[in-house]
Amino acid sequence: MLGNQSSLTLYLLPLVQRLVPVFLPGQYRARLLCRQWQTADMLQLSFKVSGRWPGFVPGQHLLLTLQHQGRYISRTFSICSPLSLWQSQQQIQLCCKINRAGEFTPLLNQLKNGAVVNISTAQGDFCWPQPATAAVFVAAGSGITPVASMLLSQRHGLAPVSLFYRCRGSENAALLSKLQQLAERQPLFSLTLSDSRTEPAETLQQRLISNSHAKQFYLCGPAAFMQHMRMALTNSGVSATQIRQEQFGLAIAAPAEHSAAGMPLSASFIRAGISTQVKLNPQQSLLQSAEQHGLAPSFGCRMGVCFQCVCDKVSGQVRDMRSGALSGHGAEQIQLCVSQPLTELVIKL
Amino acid sequence: MKLTTEQFTALAHELDSVKQQVQQQLGDADARYIRRVLLTQRLSALSGRILMVLGFITPWLWLLGVLLLALAKILDNMEIGHNVLHGQYDWMNDPVLHSKRYEWDIACDAGSWQRTHNFEHHTYTNIIGKDRDFGYGLLRLSNDFRWRLRNLWQGGTYLLLSMLFQWGVSYHELAAQRVFFGKKKADRHSQVSDSELKKAFFGKGARQLIKDYVFFPLIAGPMWLWVLCGNLLANLLRNLWTSTVIFCGHFTKEVYVFSAAECEGESRGQWYYRQMLGSSNFTGPTWLHILTGHLSCQIEHHLFPDIPARHYPAMAKQVQAIAAKYAIPYNTGSFLRQYSTVFLRIMRYSLPGGSKAVKAL
Repeated sequence: MLGNQSSLTLYLLPLVQRLVPVFLPGQYRARLLCRQWQTADMLQLSFKVSGRWPGFVPGQHLLLTLQHQGRYISRTFSICSPLSLWQSQQQIQLCCKINRAGEFTPLLNQLKNGAVVNISTAQGDFCWPQPATAAVFVAAGSGITPVASMLLSQRHGLAPVSLFYRCRGSENAALLSKLQQLAERQPLFSLTLSDSRTEPAETLQQRLISNSHAKQFYLCGPAAFMQHMRMALTNSGVSATQIRQEQFGLAIAAPAEHSAAGMPLSASFIRAGISTQVKLNPQQSLLQSAEQHGLAPSFGCRMGVCFQCVCDKVSGQVRDMRSGALSGHGAEQIQLCVSQPLTELVIKL
Repeated sequence: MKLTTEQFTALAHELDSVKQQVQQQLGDADARYIRRVLLTQRLSALSGRILMVLGFITPWLWLLGVLLLALAKILDNMEIGHNVLHGQYDWMNDPVLHSKRYEWDIACDAGSWQRTHNFEHHTYTNIIGKDRDFGYGLLRLSNDFRWRLRNLWQGGTYLLLSMLFQWGVSYHELAAQRVFFGKKKADRHSQVSDSELKKAFFGKGARQLIKDYVFFPLIAGPMWLWVLCGNLLANLLRNLWTSTVIFCGHFTKEVYVFSAAECEGESRGQWYYRQMLGSSNFTGPTWLHILTGHLSCQIEHHLFPDIPARHYPAMAKQVQAIAAKYAIPYNTGSFLRQYSTVFLRIMRYSLPGGSKAVKAL
């Protein structure tokens, strides 16, 4: 109250940041130890994490924040290292897919050793309950990261576990050597590579179905891949409660048939009291559309995890790009980064 | 004087490209600048409040403290608060400097300010009857308004308004909505209910009063009266300064006004045109620009309200060249010259009659 900010930390932030340049309230500092290419486009980053960081459950992800050209930008990444590495040395590793045309991930490759970044607490409920029960893991592409952390964190392999790892050949399989070492050490762990260039998805589905007596399935990968796998499993009698999944990236499906075909949509964004009329691209998130028109809503992970871009929708209907769920037509809060427009909208930024 | 439709389109195009050039280079330098201003503001606020208590050593320390606190309040009000609340720094995605989160050290609630100032004043600039910032419903500034007896002493009203400016700003929206006095106007629609308005007004106002006149005096112990008076003086200095700057932006001699009818369905070019005619600049050294929150470049601010203000002086050169090209009057002058015309205007229209303000379109 004294500084007209919501907390004293925010009031003193300019002073604190003068002393500790990367300090951000609510975030933790992590120092880069080394970078290492796992494959041609998967970069593994090892961080020494601040002692105040409360730790993680294998399978969880965190928000990594960088300052680039005066601007805070963040993305979500899953932790790929075992729990023991953090417990013994306060280190974590992230395995990040570098999209060379993107805004964020190329910056990761430019970080110097010793650079300090901000990380959030670990989040997410894609976890493997302990003590471990029999389970089948299916990972595709960068979806291997949380799965690797779960598997590598096992001290004693007492339950039969199999991993189906789908990738474009073994040279594009990140973290493969560690998993192979684990398979040699643990007789109850079986690792199966599924090469997407030679093996059709149906074959993998068949192999999964033959495993459907397994207690629990864990799926992680691109949205379309997971939809296929999930469908095959449920069709063969696996109940939905037996399947846990973590989606990487958004399923940007064509706009639902609800919106009249070809009708251009628009939205009024009310920001700082002023209403701006914006033409919407129904294929894009509202966040992207708003940014392209020079508006700058606050944002974080851009994939529906961190809730920094939550805004009040006054009217209109949107579609959740992750699940396809439709919103109501009235006033409610929405996340701009995962909402596609279906009708004309009025939104308070 | 009136431009053709093609000229308006070309004008909009040229001004848009001035804006775009700056938008493309926003980055580290802007972030560093506003953080440095924020740091200066915090340091002067903290040291000002401490020095006031040290006034028992020599009153000069108290005076220095008052001036530093006034400086902090002016920076917070103008270069930081006003500009951040316009969304000039939203692109930084910063936890403090975002229009959605920032709250400033004045009596007016940030949300209420965004509705009345950012929306009403910036959209309907100098449209008689729509922009209540033209005279604030208290002063008669042109013969477009009927003379009333109370206008006779509006010189005094103006002085009082300037001294209590933050409270005037804070009450502005409640006055428009006739929350306490007057008959509701049928054509006014508010985004928020009267009870929310009252809550924001009393809540923010009480917090400010408690902070400056109860909490800080209390923790100063035996120096409580010095601190209380010092805070009062710092607030007064800030009020006088902001009021003066803002009056120079729209009420100078050659400023134009508009009627609601002529602005109906205006194009982007016409909107730009109206913003240029309805505002006035004043010149001065860099420190003066910073203390005004760059509202010394009121014309550029009205053309590009969401561009970080430190770019306005450079943009002003381009805007002035464009204005000359289209023969649009560009109202600028020294601070003293501009302010004296404001003062004369207030005095002239305290008496009946006078000329109508220059109609533009």
